Amino acid sequence: MPELLQFAFSGLTVGAVYALVALGFTLIYNASDVVNFAQGEFVMLGGMATVFLHLAGVPLPMAAALAILITVGVGLALYAFAIDPARGSSAVTIIIITIGASIFLRGVAQVVFDKRFHALPHWFGSDPIRIGGAAILPQSLVVLFGAGLIVALIFLIIDRTLLGRAILATAANRLAARLVGIPVRKIVALSFALSAAIGAVAGILVTPITLTSYDVGTLLALKGFAAAMLGGMGSAVGAVVGGLLLGLAESFGAGLISSKYKDAIAFLIILGVLFVRPQGLFGKRSVERV
Amino acid sequence: MLEIRDLRSAYGRIEVLHGLDLDVQRNEIVCLIGGNGAGKTTLLRAISGVQPVTGGSITFEGQDITGLPAEKRVALGIAQVPEGRQIFGGLTVEDNLNLGGWLNGGGTQKERDDIYALFPILHEKRALQAGGLSGGQQQMLAIGRALMSRPRLLLLDEPSMGLAPVLVEQVFGVIENLQQRGITILLVEQNAAAALAKSNRGFVIETGDITHSGASSDLIGDPKLREAYLGQ
Ligand SMILES: Nc1ncnc2c1ncn2[C@@H]1O[C@H](COP(=O)(O)OP(=O)(O)OP(=O)(O)O)[C@@H](O)[C@H]1O
Ligand SMILES: [Mg+2]
Repeated sequence: MPELLQFAFSGLTVGAVYALVALGFTLIYNASDVVNFAQGEFVMLGGMATVFLHLAGVPLPMAAALAILITVGVGLALYAFAIDPARGSSAVTIIIITIGASIFLRGVAQVVFDKRFHALPHWFGSDPIRIGGAAILPQSLVVLFGAGLIVALIFLIIDRTLLGRAILATAANRLAARLVGIPVRKIVALSFALSAAIGAVAGILVTPITLTSYDVGTLLALKGFAAAMLGGMGSAVGAVVGGLLLGLAESFGAGLISSKYKDAIAFLIILGVLFVRPQGLFGKRSVERV
Repeated sequence: MLEIRDLRSAYGRIEVLHGLDLDVQRNEIVCLIGGNGAGKTTLLRAISGVQPVTGGSITFEGQDITGLPAEKRVALGIAQVPEGRQIFGGLTVEDNLNLGGWLNGGGTQKERDDIYALFPILHEKRALQAGGLSGGQQQMLAIGRALMSRPRLLLLDEPSMGLAPVLVEQVFGVIENLQQRGITILLVEQNAAAALAKSNRGFVIETGDITHSGASSDLIGDPKLREAYLGQ
């Protein structure tokens, strides 16, 4: 019993990170129909930039804030120099561009930072809290709480503000959005900025637990993509639920079967969704683009 | 108010507007009639800045707007009710109106109330998804949404398309009402008889060129046009 609780907690912790990556996917996909495979690199940049700024003597909170800004800058640059010029190209072309951008960012990170693993200090120490026989790192709670806060913030923006409505309108009908005076390119740029910020925060929150290195983005992008597919591409609720479910599936799979196949679970989920329910759990639109 | 000179526009390498001239004076209703594929929609989209032009100029109230982005043109007072309505079907009726007022922070309650007074059915359905409205209601919503941007020039692309005769009457009634409120109208129609009857002047477009223009009452009387567009 304590074991199962342990699996659940660690599953939810990684799941929260997958959920944030998936939410980043969803925001960009909704505003622009782009599936951004460089989403994982945002997470990497958040963690790595914080680590290296901190090493350079910047106090941690400041380093984290700067890392988020840097990542947002990278997100905007990605849009302005790689995605926007390819406007009107096929979905496949744009996916290849984002995969290229992800490889490029990894390469740059390898040069600017290094190829080793790095950690950040735990916010509230690393003495586990005992709940029902399970040991939980305080940082896990930080991850869960932080992710919850971000998700709530994004839902508030989308649901309660005119800006959020404009994002939905841009996604639904670009021509009509332009005709009412919504600057659709700025809206799409904003979605890249928001996604980058979400990714960076996820990286900063989770690095104390999982460590980070220049290449953690690849697998995270895949996991986030699997989570978004599971939840239904384009559904923000789906992204969050999909992320948590994937995290739990991995954790229980690793604990009860074998940790060897942990990373295969995401692939199985992608395949399963494609065969059984292409629109995912919460998806409305058919996924004719995939 | 609006002056179009030698306007050219193309899809890829295929030119579909071949240097056409058209003007709209303040507070007129001007109609633009022409058959399928003549270039009416392309022209309206060029005026709104969502269709690239390859030559010529568009001047609005003395200002050259040819290269201006779409949102700047809306801010200047040019709104469009696009072909096929293009409402935001997944959003509520009221959200559609609010987005029409995007450049004014979503618009005021008074502005929404004005629209609701014009189209009471929209008030009744304000909290419902716009995609569930009937065709006529969607057309009203598209007009209401355009009005929320406080236009001085309203471009309407086939607002009567697919509507029952009663509703067509209502839409034309609204257009005359808007003229009385001081809004200038450029109306694209395939329904040439109705459009000419309700407008002050008219232009006829054929495969990307203006072939006739003049007072609507004169155009109605033109035997060649009667044969081609009025089926008489
Ligand atoms: N997206 C497009 N790509 C290529 N060609 C197009 C496109 N849209 C329109 N055309 C062509 O441009 C020409 C003008 O089309 P347009 O839609 O402006 O005509 P229209 O007068 O509005 O016709 P309708 O009465 O059917 O609405 C037509 O020959 C049409 O085939
Ligand atoms: Mg048309």
